[in-house]
Amino acid sequence: MPQKFYHDDPEWADIEPIAQDDGPHPLAAIAYTDEYSEAMGYLRAAMAKNEFSERVLGLTEHIIGLNAAHYTVWLYRAKTLETLNADLKQEIAWLNPTALSHLKNYQIWHHRQTIIEKLGSPEGESDFISTMLEQDTKNYHVWSYRQWLVQRFGLYTEEELNWTESMIEEDVRNNSAWNHRWFLVFGVPRDGREVDEYTVQREIAYVQEAIRKAPQNQSPWNYLRGIFKQTKRSTEDLKTFALEFANVNKPDDIFSSHALDVLADIYAEEQKKDEAKKALDLLATKFDPIRANYWNYRKVLLDQPEVAA
Amino acid sequence: MASAQDPTSQTPSSRLEETLSTSARVEELSDSDYEEMETLTRHEEANQAYLKSITSPIEDLLDTASSEVQDETLRAVMPFLIGNPNDFDLNSYGLPTLQREKHVKFLKQSLGPFPPQFAAMDASRPWVVYWCMQGLTALGQDISEYSDRVVSTFSSAQHPEGGFGGGHGQLPHLAATYAAILSLVIVGTEEAYASINRQTMYSYLGRMKQVDGGFTMSPNGEEDIRGAFCALVALSLLNLPLELPPDAPARQHGLTSFLDNLGEWVSRCQTYEGGISAAPGNEAHGAYAFCGLGCLSIMGPPKDTINKWLDVPALINWLNSRQSCPEGGFHGRGNKLVDGCYSHWVGGCWALVEAAAGKGIWNRAALGRYILSAAQFKKGGLVDKPGKRPDAYHTCYNLAGLSWAQYDWKYEKSEGERGELDAPYHWQLDGEYTEDVVWDNGDMVNRVHPVFVVPFGKAESCRKWFEEQTWSSKGTG
Ligand SMILES: [Zn+2]
Repeated sequence: MPQKFYHDDPEWADIEPIAQDDGPHPLAAIAYTDEYSEAMGYLRAAMAKNEFSERVLGLTEHIIGLNAAHYTVWLYRAKTLETLNADLKQEIAWLNPTALSHLKNYQIWHHRQTIIEKLGSPEGESDFISTMLEQDTKNYHVWSYRQWLVQRFGLYTEEELNWTESMIEEDVRNNSAWNHRWFLVFGVPRDGREVDEYTVQREIAYVQEAIRKAPQNQSPWNYLRGIFKQTKRSTEDLKTFALEFANVNKPDDIFSSHALDVLADIYAEEQKKDEAKKALDLLATKFDPIRANYWNYRKVLLDQPEVAA
Repeated sequence: MASAQDPTSQTPSSRLEETLSTSARVEELSDSDYEEMETLTRHEEANQAYLKSITSPIEDLLDTASSEVQDETLRAVMPFLIGNPNDFDLNSYGLPTLQREKHVKFLKQSLGPFPPQFAAMDASRPWVVYWCMQGLTALGQDISEYSDRVVSTFSSAQHPEGGFGGGHGQLPHLAATYAAILSLVIVGTEEAYASINRQTMYSYLGRMKQVDGGFTMSPNGEEDIRGAFCALVALSLLNLPLELPPDAPARQHGLTSFLDNLGEWVSRCQTYEGGISAAPGNEAHGAYAFCGLGCLSIMGPPKDTINKWLDVPALINWLNSRQSCPEGGFHGRGNKLVDGCYSHWVGGCWALVEAAAGKGIWNRAALGRYILSAAQFKKGGLVDKPGKRPDAYHTCYNLAGLSWAQYDWKYEKSEGERGELDAPYHWQLDGEYTEDVVWDNGDMVNRVHPVFVVPFGKAESCRKWFEEQTWSSKGTG
């Protein structure tokens, strides 16, 4: 990319750039390039006089190209776009390739959110997000942005659920995809409605099938436990399911520590302390010994009446 | 390691058999890595025995992208957990000693100056200063030689309308504000304290408060749990009033205090998994968990606030699940990879949680092993995981993690109120952890404040200084 300077640009002749004042011997000082240094000097000057103009848009685009992690530049650009009533679709078109080359950047996603909020339409966004997630299937900012999008535009749709399912199919250990599914189905209570029984049953069946593929995968176990907790249903079915993977009386026949964990909780609830202790002992000594302190702590809790109640 | 057949078609017990027979994946890896070596040293044998003792016999056969990167990670980490590829001196437990001098040198170099390609750091300079100051003090260094420079570096980053930005002319941001204040707290001189404009800070924090209870990071910026934590850190250390400034936008919606709806908001960040997310609906994440717990631990005594606003058993279960096995270090989210910075983000949650729920619930020794064996870079500085380059961030937070492993804390609410948001000034050292340690005296780092992550004692001095200043804010009485 050719360098760009402003001091000999007639369009900027009226601006006296403000040099960076870092005081004497600053720490973490950066030997900026002349190009970056000058561009920032003009931005500081433009900001000092609250200028929101086309040329400021060009300047912010330039600086973002040099340093995309510059929140000030993004925020000032957003304000400029707003003041100018700029074409926001054009802004999104410019943002797409920029986002792809800065996957881990916070600001870019917040900027996008600001723009889409103003545009008032999620058109094309789901596809774009899917492209981003192909590069990095667990990117926190991208998933968070998708959750915002769903909530803002009410996209609690079949299509969204199917897409999430395809992400889980691709990698049943993608915890971000499981979280998104939870968000869609159980997350934000909408109009105060409870999740209907048909949906709950469908989810239980789905997650159980996922656990059978890899019983030591904690993501679907958390999802399953979450369902029982949120819907406050009897844990009898959960117990039956967990027993498929672990039986405290058959220590040679155990192939999910998470099933043992579930059983320990249910036995404690049922006041079957000995069974609960067996499960916790198996975890502490054999099936999850790195967390022995934790499982032993759970054993101590069993004897504290207020916890068992 | 792929299994072609569909595991769901098998009965549980036949699958178990297969699981057990191939479950020694870890050992296989380490064995093959060491095939060429003639004999194992005594230490290597001991380390292998340890790893075997904490590894679960259960492992799924199904391969997915997540298990593939996990296997890759193990291949990178195991040689460091077993042997000593960096040729460091070993401590009496056969683990690498803390490479104090090398880390000090690395952190001093990390204070700059930096070449032009570091422009991407331009908005994070306060962080760099904080990580280096905190890291150096954790290593026992006197940082007074930097005092004046810390103060002058931040004076131009302070925004005329309040708060700190990443540098001169940058908009105020709560992350920059947090890092700048903590750096000045570590310096701890009167000049450092006095350089903070409390009046404009108060008004800036008022502008960040949102109606739903949370805080945005910057004007029109994102709202997440970092904002809530950083804002409370500033309010508490600077002894600012809890009453919202008259011009705070949230006042127009009936809010009057910085704490209004805040507990509810943090509570909404706890997910079905038990962990805490950046904002309601997002995925539970170790760094946000620390921010959430830190926020609650400033709002009041952890025993009260954490138990009031969170499902503590679910939280403890989730936090415990973040310890990677057999690596011993922490990861940030379900099915993600071990990373040295979570030594602090997750490791730092424990003192706060233990103050609320009882002690002895996590594995300190395993974390200590990961930090000493796998997170120290040969030439100094600490890393995410073997194969990565060191940086000030991972150095600071691995060292903080080592401190969480090495010291026990207790929270004792003494008599006499110190005013608003005084909860975090009641922490006391409860001695060194001694049970199954893997470090010698020479590997000890300094004590770190459980909430503020600065040398213990520094936050208390800062708060005391501001308590002695008269508060005047035009229009707030
Ligand atoms: Zn990291």
